[in-house]
Amino acid sequence: MKLLKISETGGHFRNEAGEFIPIDKIGKEGLLRLVHWTLHEEAVSFDEYDEKTLKNQAHQLIYKSVAQKLVALRKRRKSFLDESARLYLEDYEKYRPGVSK
Amino acid sequence: MKKIDLHIHTVSTFSDNGFTYSLDTFKRYVEEAKLDAVAVTNHDMFDPGQFGQIEAALEALVFPGIEVNVEKGHLLLIDEPANLKDFTARTKKVAERITQVGDTMSVEELRGIFGDLNKYLLIPHADKGPPIQGEALEKLRPYLAAGEVDSAKKFIRAMKDSTKLTPVLFSDARMRSDLGAIPLRQTYVDCGTLTLSALKTCLRDRSKVALSEADGNRLWQVFENGQKLSTGLNVLIGSRSSGKTHTLDEICAKIPRSKYVRQFSLVQQDEEAYEREFRGNVERRRSAIADQYLAGFKRVLEEIVDIDLVANDRAVQQYINTLIKAAQEADRQDVYSKSTLFNEVEFEIGKTEELTKLIASVRHLIENIEYRTIIEKHVDLESLKKLAVELIDLLRTKTGEFEEKRIVNGLIREIKGALKLKTAATQVEDVDLYELAMDAKRVERFTQTVEFLKKESVIFEDGLQGYRIEVTSGPFLGAGEIKQASRVQTSFVKAFARYQSPYEYLRELLSDESLSQAALYRLFAKITYRTLNKDGYEVSGGERSEFRLLQEIADAQNFDILLVDEPESSFDNLFLKSDVCKILKGISETMPVVVVTHNSTIGASIGADYLLYARKEMENGQVVYRTYSGYPSDRILLSVDGKSIKCHASVMDSLEAGALTYEERRQGYEAIKD
Repeated sequence: MKLLKISETGGHFRNEAGEFIPIDKIGKEGLLRLVHWTLHEEAVSFDEYDEKTLKNQAHQLIYKSVAQKLVALRKRRKSFLDESARLYLEDYEKYRPGVSK
Repeated sequence: MKKIDLHIHTVSTFSDNGFTYSLDTFKRYVEEAKLDAVAVTNHDMFDPGQFGQIEAALEALVFPGIEVNVEKGHLLLIDEPANLKDFTARTKKVAERITQVGDTMSVEELRGIFGDLNKYLLIPHADKGPPIQGEALEKLRPYLAAGEVDSAKKFIRAMKDSTKLTPVLFSDARMRSDLGAIPLRQTYVDCGTLTLSALKTCLRDRSKVALSEADGNRLWQVFENGQKLSTGLNVLIGSRSSGKTHTLDEICAKIPRSKYVRQFSLVQQDEEAYEREFRGNVERRRSAIADQYLAGFKRVLEEIVDIDLVANDRAVQQYINTLIKAAQEADRQDVYSKSTLFNEVEFEIGKTEELTKLIASVRHLIENIEYRTIIEKHVDLESLKKLAVELIDLLRTKTGEFEEKRIVNGLIREIKGALKLKTAATQVEDVDLYELAMDAKRVERFTQTVEFLKKESVIFEDGLQGYRIEVTSGPFLGAGEIKQASRVQTSFVKAFARYQSPYEYLRELLSDESLSQAALYRLFAKITYRTLNKDGYEVSGGERSEFRLLQEIADAQNFDILLVDEPESSFDNLFLKSDVCKILKGISETMPVVVVTHNSTIGASIGADYLLYARKEMENGQVVYRTYSGYPSDRILLSVDGKSIKCHASVMDSLEAGALTYEERRQGYEAIKD
């Protein structure tokens, strides 16, 4: 699933409906969704930041920051998921139905 | 009566403090203490070769035994000498199982090794560390003949309590080559022929077990020469320099947990030093109460020190200013300031503490064993487990969500900062109004709490024989009082000026770098300790000595014997008769007490259980210190080397300066009677 896209009209991000919206319109909810997809989706992709194609300077600034963050996050995806699964692992396994103590 | 010691060490194991074993020492001990039976009980091992040598060398009957580490306590397990081969094989398994400090075996493992425990004599550490207790004790109880204690006081206590095992007092001594005086902890049993089964039967019947041969549990041997003391109240009399204090010193050295109130120790000497010491004492004893009382306030304060209301006000003002300015500049927006993120606010991130606590509580319910039947009567364990799993699932989800929000917040901050650098437009400065409102509420609650603390009130009261200890809370009346409470050399004049508004006062205290933040909780209310007499006034000098004696004596409960040297040196007769005697007599019901006195009020009215008379005698030009003893109703007192002396004359001599003086004094009183 593509999350960030660069076209002639500027940088775009995927919203909840799967549409691509100009990146300067992104707010915190939009960001949160991108972060969530990056951490939980099996396959995600981002158009690489390209200053030449991106003419709008505000787009440049926001796109660069967001893309960098999401790429870095994708690399830490496994450890992030492991960490939350480790919470109360012992008790969880002990009390889980079908597993006797 | 047979004298036995069934707890003796002859091998230096890893559980011992290292010693060199000597068979000669063992022989000397058995001979001097006149023991009829002993047991060799080393830690978690048995050496049959050494046992054979001991058995051959000693006059007394020797039982093979072992001191096993069971469920973190110690258990003596003793067998018949005839079963040596079998015992050796079984104890070898113990040695293989317990190989380092901290190793311990379960009752089941013990049964696995020794089979039917009824075949052995089993004695656990009872009122002695490390004890066998709880479930392990209950499992072993059917096989136990007695429980070991480590002092005469505990022996008597267990003897009087039928719910306890029959007490036995053994030496637990190491037969070391450099052993000085021989150990004095043994037990007498009323037993015919000594065999393991006869011993077991005897020990199960507490009337057949005693601390001394002839006097049952009324007397027990304290000195190597055979001199005994009562397990109740002993009065030691004698003229000056007859060795009384020396005797007390010796008892103190022999009994490790002795409470010794020395002569004149309670008398008021240097007024000022005494005042300081007395106050220090009271303060120490009672400052724990203040800390306990202020513990809640301390937690409140820890939250408040981080709240800066002035900075909070500034943040709100800044928010309003930037908001207005941004609105005014609406027509001056550029590509940067028009981006949604330019004025985006961060996510609020919740907390998982409550959920974490809830999971811990559910787990507690699931895993509690003590009250399991009650819990299961009301809640199904399976449902609880499902609840735990669901809560953990929720916690994992929430933790993930919060982490994602934290990542987004970081990104928002980063992009907002970068956008701001590019534009001349005003960015609205975000403020967490919820947190600020909470801060204001916290300060309000803090202020109320301080007002409560400042109200005059008694926070602790405790009585002791008519005296009353009173701890009160109230306001500080000046900067000097705060300084005293802080024990820091700094001026509190500026701070005290703000004392009426607790939050401002706190900010003033925080600005003084010489004050430790952790100790500030003591500077909001004055906690006063006072000792009051029967009439409700603060105690006088003389009363303080009395109060201290009472405190010292009350403390004695935690010791194995109480020694008091000439209480009359500190007090008047009325106090001695009305209070001291009563208290000493009372405490002697539960533990041995020795009082040295010259005073007839004490000597005659205390109701001693045992009388000791110390005397310096000349024998062939040599000075000999001799102690005669007996029951107060005895006509003669006896020394351990067979000398005797008349009881009445001795008492008259030491308490009344002789019969003649007593008679003169009596006649003198008669003459002025009317």
